[in-house]
Amino acid sequence: MYICLMYSNELIKGTLKTIVLSLLAKHGRMYGYEITQHVKEATDGKIQLTEGALYPLLHRLEAEGMLLTEKVNIGKRVRKYYSLTDVGNETSGVLAKEFKDFSETMNQLLNNFLLNPSYHG
Amino acid sequence: MAELNEQQIDLISAYIRQYGVASDSLHEDLLDHVCTSIENLMDEGLSFEDAFAKTIKLFGPGGLKQVQQQTFELITEMNVTMKKVAFVLGLTSAILLLAGTVFKLLHWPGAGIMVVLGGGILSLGYLPMLLWHKLKESEKGDAPMHIAGFVGLAGSALGVTFKIMHWPGAGIFLIGGMAFLGIIYIPIYFFRKYKTSSNKPVTLSAGLVAMTCLIMVFALININNSAQMDRALLLPKNHLYVKAQGIRDTDFAKDGEFWKAASETVTLLDEFAVEMIMRSEEVSSAEASRMSILDLRRRNDHRTPHFFLFDEGGRMSELVEVLKRVNAASEGLATEGMFAYEVDESYVLYGESLDWASYHFKNVPLTSVLSQFAQIKLDLLRASDMVAHQESIQPAASGLPSGS
Repeated sequence: MYICLMYSNELIKGTLKTIVLSLLAKHGRMYGYEITQHVKEATDGKIQLTEGALYPLLHRLEAEGMLLTEKVNIGKRVRKYYSLTDVGNETSGVLAKEFKDFSETMNQLLNNFLLNPSYHG
Repeated sequence: MAELNEQQIDLISAYIRQYGVASDSLHEDLLDHVCTSIENLMDEGLSFEDAFAKTIKLFGPGGLKQVQQQTFELITEMNVTMKKVAFVLGLTSAILLLAGTVFKLLHWPGAGIMVVLGGGILSLGYLPMLLWHKLKESEKGDAPMHIAGFVGLAGSALGVTFKIMHWPGAGIFLIGGMAFLGIIYIPIYFFRKYKTSSNKPVTLSAGLVAMTCLIMVFALININNSAQMDRALLLPKNHLYVKAQGIRDTDFAKDGEFWKAASETVTLLDEFAVEMIMRSEEVSSAEASRMSILDLRRRNDHRTPHFFLFDEGGRMSELVEVLKRVNAASEGLATEGMFAYEVDESYVLYGESLDWASYHFKNVPLTSVLSQFAQIKLDLLRASDMVAHQESIQPAASGLPSGS
C-alpha cells in the first residue's frame, strides 16, 4: 500500500523521504497533488506515491521542522504549498548523497556477484 | 481546464469529513488533492461523478481513514524530547534500584528511599511510556500482548519494590505480575516470533529459557516458604512457641515482687504477640491468639514488629520496664543467674551501637520476635517453678516476703 506497483514496499519505504525532499529541493514550492503527479511522470509511472503515504510524510516533515507551508486560496478551497526550510534543505542534500552512495555500492556488489557466479553458493 | 463549483467542493469536503478525517490541516490537503485530481480527470473527459469515484478508489484499501491514521502515527511517533525523557527515566530508575539494593545490602542509610523511587519511576514512569510507544508502533492485534507485558512487568517491579520494603501486598503484585508475564506475555510473544522465525529451534529455545528464568525468579522469591525451610528453621521454635502459648493462665497469683513482675511480663508478651499477629495477618484477636508460627503467612514480616514495638507503637519500653523489674526482683532468689535479660547492655552490629531491645527485636522478622517472646515466657515459667519449689522446702530462706 505504500507507494507503487513496480517495486516492493521494503525497497521503497526507506526512500520516500529522500524522494520528497529532493523534489522540493529542485522545484521550490509544490503542493501535494503536484508532487504525486511529478513523481509519476518522472519515473514513467514506475513509482506512484499514494495519498496514504505522501500526506502523513508531509505532515511529519512539517512537524519536524523540515518543511514550511504556505496557504493559497483557490476559489472555495485552500491549496497548501510545501517548501524546504534550511534544515530540510540540508537534510535533502545528505539523504540524496547517502542514497547515491548506497546505490553505487549496491551496483558494485551486484556486479561482483554477476561476474563471479560462484558467489551464488 | 475544468473547475469545480462550490456545491461540488462542499460535497467532497463533507465526504472527506464523513470518512473520519478530523484533522483540519489534513482535511485541507486532502480536499485540494481530491479536487485537483477530479479536475484533471474531468479534463480527460470524465464526468464529475466518475472522476470522483476514480479518485477515491486511488486512495486504496482503508481509504481516507487510513491516511488520517498514518498521519497521526507518524506525527505522534516518539519525538526527540520523548525519547530523551524515556532514556532519562529508564537510566534513573536503573541507577536508583542498583544503588538502593547495594545500600540495602551494606545497611547504609537511604536505601529505602532509593528503592522506592527507582521502583516507582520504573513501573509508573518508564514502563507506561514504553507501553504507549509499543501500542502506537505495532499493529492493533498486538495490543493485548503489549498490555499484558506492561501489567506483568510493572506488577513484578512494584512487587519487588514492596518486597524489599517489607510492605504488605508485595505477594499479590509479584504473583499477579509474574502470572501476566508467564501465562500471557511470554507465550504469545514467542508464539508470534516462532511463526515468523527463520530459525525455529533457536526461537523455541529462547522462549523456553525465558520461561525458565521466570520460574527460577519466582522460586527464588518464594524460597523461604519451602517446606524444608519450614521444618529446618521453625519446628524447634514452633514447638517452644506452642508450649509457651499453652501456659497463658499459669497461676502467678502469689505475692511478692518476682511473681508480680513475672506475671505482668507474661501478660504483656501474650498481648504483644496477639497484637502483632493481628496486624500482620489482618485477623481478629481471637484468631490471632490461636495461630502458631507455622500458621503465619507473612513470616518474614519485619514491618509489623518494628512499627508495633518501636516506631509508632513504641511498646518495647513497657517490656524493657517489666523485665528490669523481673531482674531486680530475682536478686537473691534461687533463680538468680538462670536467666539474664541484660536490658542495659549495649551491642555492636555493623559498626552501630545498639541497646538490648534494638539488638534483639529491631528489623527482625515476626517469627523470630515471637520465638524470642516464647523463650522469655518459658524462662519465667521455669524460674517461677523453681522459686515455688524452693519456697515449699525452705520457706524461711526463700527471701520472699510471705504475705500471708
